[in-house]
Amino acid sequence: MTEPLRARGIIKRFGPREVLRGVDLDAQAGDVITILGGSGSGKSTFLRCCNLLELPDAGTISIAGTPAPLSHAGGAPRVTDQRALGALRARTAMVFQNFNLWSHMRVIDNVIAAPVHVHGTPRAAAIERAHALLAKVGMAGFADHWPRQLSGGQQQRVAIARALATDPALMLFDEPTSALDPERVREVLDLMRALAEEGRTMLVVTHEMAFAREVSTRVVHLRDGVIESSGPPAQMFGADATAAFRAFLAH
Amino acid sequence: MNDEIAFLAATALAIARALPVTLLLALAGALGASLLAALLVAAHQTRALRPLARAWIFVFRGTPLLLQMAMVYYGLGALDAVRHGPLWPLLREPLVCAWLALACCCSAYIAEVLRAALAAVPRGQIEAALACGMNRRTRLIRVIVPQLVRLALPAYGNELVMLVKSTSLASTITVVDVTGVAQLVIAHSYRTIEVFCLAAAVYLALTAALTAALRLIERRLAQGALP
Repeated sequence: MTEPLRARGIIKRFGPREVLRGVDLDAQAGDVITILGGSGSGKSTFLRCCNLLELPDAGTISIAGTPAPLSHAGGAPRVTDQRALGALRARTAMVFQNFNLWSHMRVIDNVIAAPVHVHGTPRAAAIERAHALLAKVGMAGFADHWPRQLSGGQQQRVAIARALATDPALMLFDEPTSALDPERVREVLDLMRALAEEGRTMLVVTHEMAFAREVSTRVVHLRDGVIESSGPPAQMFGADATAAFRAFLAH
Repeated sequence: MNDEIAFLAATALAIARALPVTLLLALAGALGASLLAALLVAAHQTRALRPLARAWIFVFRGTPLLLQMAMVYYGLGALDAVRHGPLWPLLREPLVCAWLALACCCSAYIAEVLRAALAAVPRGQIEAALACGMNRRTRLIRVIVPQLVRLALPAYGNELVMLVKSTSLASTITVVDVTGVAQLVIAHSYRTIEVFCLAAAVYLALTAALTAALRLIERRLAQGALP
């Protein structure tokens, strides 16, 4: 079984600012890795490097054993093969902070878009599966709704169904509960916990410490663009936590 | 009194007979302008063609349509190359010339409308398409264009209304459209107000129908609008 994610020496600059300064991270199948860190630590940027929404300025990324078609010859990062990039992204799925459901599509069309238009799944089969997924995320009766008719928590659950629709090797969660009302956070976290329990490989950027402590297999503390410390939650939140991570938690 | 009614009826009939010309010019003009505008926006996206698109918009938006029509109709005909060229049978037709000028001029405005709408498509909508592996074509068809249409529609409708009214300028290069007929009738009846009022009523009816249709489409698209 190849690793869903293998990232080596990831460096990312925005202008003169080096946001990521050499990050290595592997995810084995079934890993739920929570990335914690203060604002500006580069955690979202790293997540976005994993599906190449941001192109790293140096380093390599492999998704499910396939290296990203990226060249750094001549300085600026360049995609060498758009098709391969699309195929690579198609093995991943991303859940965004602001949901980013396609506002011109009904819920059901949001969920079947990638299976039908990227993976070539027959429409009928995609719809059948989409209904099952919507039931799974607790949105069974909402297939014909428009995204704007839903609450934030409902939109995020649909977004998770959309992400599951392609059975991704790696799921990326970019602060999935940060834009939600406090009472809606729970419904999304419970769902993510269920996904973790069924063995999905997940990379989660979040501020939810309870989720990091209780659900993740590994916690990564990112600080100033490098991994300051990482380990199983029992170790990270235990007696031998690093001073820097303790300081972060104290905030 | 009876004379008056008979005159108005005859004028209305003459104007109604010219309505197909105005309609044809408006429809063909809208189609040509929209296609050209789409090309201009596409050209604007590529570095090599951007100066061309900019120059086109600069010239056609910056000069009066009245002059553009006159230059196409009288100007091109003065060139030997055009008069002896293969397109002369088309280019000597005033209707074709009016259509050409109308499409070119309005394309500049519509291109700006589309470009603004393209820039307004939320980044997150495109990122969601990128993240699931959609290629360029699929992103365009499934996400960008539907979003763009919804964003552009109000301003685009405005341009179409302007276009319908601008067709009246074709009468200045001998096209016998609604305005052209009105002017002919005035020329031998000297009854300005009644005739122009009749012609104006035709344009009002056209733009009212267009506005109603646009509102209907807008309402349908608004179902999925952003909150």
